[in-house]
Amino acid sequence: MTSTSRVLRALAPTRPLALTFILLAAFMLTAAQAFAHNVTAGDAGYIQEIWGVKIIPFIYLGAKHMVTGYDHILFLLGVVFFLYRMKDVGIYVSLFAIGHSVTMLFGVWYGWGINAYIIDAIIGLSVVYKALDNLGYYQKWFGFQPNTKVATLIFGLFHGTGLATKIIEYQIPQDGLLANLLAFNVGVEVGQLLALAVILIVMGYWRRHPNFMRQATIANVVMMGLGIWLTAYQVAGYIAST
Amino acid sequence: MHNAPKPNIEELPTKAQLFRSTIIAGIGAAAILVTVVLPAEYAIDPTGVGRVLGLTEMGEIKVQLAEEAEADRLLDEQRALDQSSSLLDSVFGLFVSAAHAQEAWQDEVTFVLEPGDTAEIKMTMEAGNTVTYSWTATGGRVNFDLHAHSGGESVDYERGAGQTEGEGIIEAPFAGDHGWFWRNRDSTPITMTIQVRGEYSDIVETY
Repeated sequence: MTSTSRVLRALAPTRPLALTFILLAAFMLTAAQAFAHNVTAGDAGYIQEIWGVKIIPFIYLGAKHMVTGYDHILFLLGVVFFLYRMKDVGIYVSLFAIGHSVTMLFGVWYGWGINAYIIDAIIGLSVVYKALDNLGYYQKWFGFQPNTKVATLIFGLFHGTGLATKIIEYQIPQDGLLANLLAFNVGVEVGQLLALAVILIVMGYWRRHPNFMRQATIANVVMMGLGIWLTAYQVAGYIAST
Repeated sequence: MHNAPKPNIEELPTKAQLFRSTIIAGIGAAAILVTVVLPAEYAIDPTGVGRVLGLTEMGEIKVQLAEEAEADRLLDEQRALDQSSSLLDSVFGLFVSAAHAQEAWQDEVTFVLEPGDTAEIKMTMEAGNTVTYSWTATGGRVNFDLHAHSGGESVDYERGAGQTEGEGIIEAPFAGDHGWFWRNRDSTPITMTIQVRGEYSDIVETY
């Protein structure tokens, strides 16, 4: 602060006592006001404090969002659970990436804000769907296997809508929005590849285990349970919010 | 029954390959932790890579915001204990004559905000009072939070980052001090000029 000037409107000069009291009160109020603003901390707080193109920070935020987003990771685990050829992994992960990139970018750009609880409940259901798929229930129930590639793409679209809903809540400034959004999307894919690397290493060890197929049944039942829990949790949140 | 055949052991990665992948992943994770995550989350940047990437700045802002949020929380607790300030508030309101709305600006506040500095300019308003405002920032771009909180109630009218001007009308939903928190995150000093008119009893400043 180098200079401070202020044009005060005229206060009644004939009431020095009152004026003294006002100044005293003003001082006391002022003293209590230091730093009292509604602080938003964390990633959202950072985003609200900056403007302009910030490529690497937004790549980081996108990657962080993916790596810490257990619902996306759980679905990814379900998708690659029985894929052990790198070519298949590449195809399915790319389909998921295309799906969630499309709805994430268009969702933020055109402001398709969907209720976060509803979209997160659908994402929970995507985990349930994939676990049932892995367990072979669709063949048992319906006598045919729904196309797994199409399902991965479609659920990718829902996951992207969930991502868009979160980004809209972040209130990214308009200044530099497109570049930052693309950077965030690149970050989501980077985060997905990092998570995938860990998943593939763990699955690699596991698949060599002689009891893998039996344990796989248990693992997919557990995954389905987690998916149901995620869905129920979001539905409960939705009911509580209305 | 599964939706996949049991893989042949020959098609799976060997234990040696998996071990090598694990080592590489471990080294990669440690490198990412030191050069990316610690700078971006806690502004801890032993290698200096975080600064180059612009992530240490993110960590510094997060650490600062976390400290301010904590200070905010303590202040709220203190206010809840301190009943005298609300008493003073009401006495204070009695002595100041009601302001008359007119076309000309009633007050103009100007000050210079150095890079990294913050300021609060607030109007003391009663519930239902309205204030019309217009402000400009010259020399740089300013971040702001137009808000109020008093006695457990709070309102956020508008927030912005990297702005140079603004105008509008606020209507106070509750009695208290309503106004701006300003912060200069730009690299140059900013001259702020704020003009207001409407129903308020005083302007309170904190630097």
